[in-house]
Amino acid sequence: MTTTAPLSPSLSRPGLAAELRALWVIFKREWLIFRRYPSWIVALFIWPVIFPTAYIFSARALAGPDGGGLALFTQAAGTPDFIGYIAVGTTVWMWQNVTLWTIGLALRNEQTRGTLESNWLSPTWRFSFLMGAALVQGLQLAIFILVAGIEFWLLYGVRFHGHPLLILLVFLAAVPAIYGLGIAFASLVITSKEANNFVFLVRGLVMIFCGITFPVSVMPGWMQAIAAWLPPTYAIHGIRNASLNGADLAALLPDLIPLTVFGLGWLAIGYLAFVWMERRARQTGAIGQY
Amino acid sequence: MSGWAVEAENLVKKFPQNKPTHGAGEAGGKKQRPWPFGPRPARTWFTAVDGVSLQIPKGEVFGLLGPNGAGKSTTIRMLCTLLEPTSGMARVAGYDVIREAGKVRQNLGTVLAGERSIYWKLTGRENLEYFAALYHIPPEAARRRVDDLLERMELTARADDLVEKYSTGMKQRIVLARALLARPPILLLDEPTLGLDPQAARRVRELVKELQAEGHTVLLTTHYMEEADQLSDRIGIIDQGRIIALDTPAGLKQQIGQKDAIKLEVAGWRSEMGGALQQLSGVERLATHYLGTDSLWEVSLHTDDSRAVLPGVIERLGREGARVVNLNIAQPTLEDVFIHLTGKALRD
Repeated sequence: MTTTAPLSPSLSRPGLAAELRALWVIFKREWLIFRRYPSWIVALFIWPVIFPTAYIFSARALAGPDGGGLALFTQAAGTPDFIGYIAVGTTVWMWQNVTLWTIGLALRNEQTRGTLESNWLSPTWRFSFLMGAALVQGLQLAIFILVAGIEFWLLYGVRFHGHPLLILLVFLAAVPAIYGLGIAFASLVITSKEANNFVFLVRGLVMIFCGITFPVSVMPGWMQAIAAWLPPTYAIHGIRNASLNGADLAALLPDLIPLTVFGLGWLAIGYLAFVWMERRARQTGAIGQY
Repeated sequence: MSGWAVEAENLVKKFPQNKPTHGAGEAGGKKQRPWPFGPRPARTWFTAVDGVSLQIPKGEVFGLLGPNGAGKSTTIRMLCTLLEPTSGMARVAGYDVIREAGKVRQNLGTVLAGERSIYWKLTGRENLEYFAALYHIPPEAARRRVDDLLERMELTARADDLVEKYSTGMKQRIVLARALLARPPILLLDEPTLGLDPQAARRVRELVKELQAEGHTVLLTTHYMEEADQLSDRIGIIDQGRIIALDTPAGLKQQIGQKDAIKLEVAGWRSEMGGALQQLSGVERLATHYLGTDSLWEVSLHTDDSRAVLPGVIERLGREGARVVNLNIAQPTLEDVFIHLTGKALRD
């Protein structure tokens, strides 16, 4: 028995505007959920101060009671402001770390929450779900850096001398590489179902090789060679140069160019990893598995 | 484009499985070291769906009935584009589920079984507005549609509460509303009443009937035989990945003709008693199901003449040390059809 009642046509109207609206609501949803877990506000104020503190006191101790050791530091680092130096390094490290935990786990969190499949049942372009997470992370990062900057200024007396637009330019140049790695990571986590080991590996590499609290030049040659292949090395160096030394655009190019090249590479790797994962998930049913 | 709402031909889905690699194994008398130090384990395949073919005309409610693990959900996941078939063809609303997956998703509303498919940290209204945008519904139409669906699901008064404060039935109504947002011509409902209280389940069944009256095609999976019987125009019985019977509910029941279905509640049942009963003259099919209380088992058997068979069955059970505490002789149900076809109970 079948009925013959006429059914109104589907309300779905695909197109570019519809895809952009979908991207906007993914961003809005992430932001709404983020706001409804108020503990993030506490973390936002505490982490920028707590993490660099141990390094700052270590540096003070190593500099000696009269600050005699600072001359050697200034010679190697190009600035006597070791607090600002450490603050920039640890902020970029936290950025990379938080990106892996947020963008890198964006799809995995949807999977464990049970909402990944219902999102993927819609006609929205599936890569938008990661891009929406990346946009929210960008907003969170902006707030994080603003809070960190104010706290460093108030608590440690750090003064940034560079042009704000040039500092922003180095941050923006670092975005594709840092987020591309996060997107690639997000795709791998969906199939491996495990994130911790990879996050610990990446943040360990950044901490050791990228010079978050010391100049890369103090490391042995083979370690410097590895550092040259890690985008955060250039991000940390460039942001320090722009914010503490007041470097101009020409002086920043040695950092901006590799960041752009790495960024294009990592974005491509991230997208290809996503396409591979999406296909594999359809073949194995991986997105519905916990 | 074919005239079928849903069409599948020889649909197969196999999942790879690695053989266990725990510890060292023995092969040909020689110890095998586990991978990656020894040979890579051979890959085997588990066939979840094994050649399913079906054609569902527009406006029909089609029930896919089978026990857990029969392949119902895997079939649904292939039709809604979440899974890629290993082989075979499927079309939904005339669109191929692999090559035209986007078009399929535009024309489909899906409720997956047991899913927490909505955001508990958003309100009911926020959830629907969010999914309306994902389904590419223009903003003005989306606002009207969300209001209409909240009204229809009797959730308007709680629309601005967080979903985490909803009851299970209310959550399922939001999930159903989400599936209806784009007014899709075809709905896939995978176990839509699973875990609901009787009142909420009845409301969902009423809704399915209303949706059919409005012209939607519904593919419904369930392991509740009464639900399939009550809602479906036609039913496909699925077991071990294959559709083993497909007909109207009445047509399926006619397959076991005028046979009586005897259901006994037995205390002290032991599995070897099944063989003893099947040796009795007139007993055709027998299936058992543990009732979970007081060591009681339900024993179902089919016969042409219950009057002739029943005394012998009771006598034999008594001799084996079991006790019949209740019995019921009824016209065949879909459960009996399933027992007749597979020799096992639907709830196993």
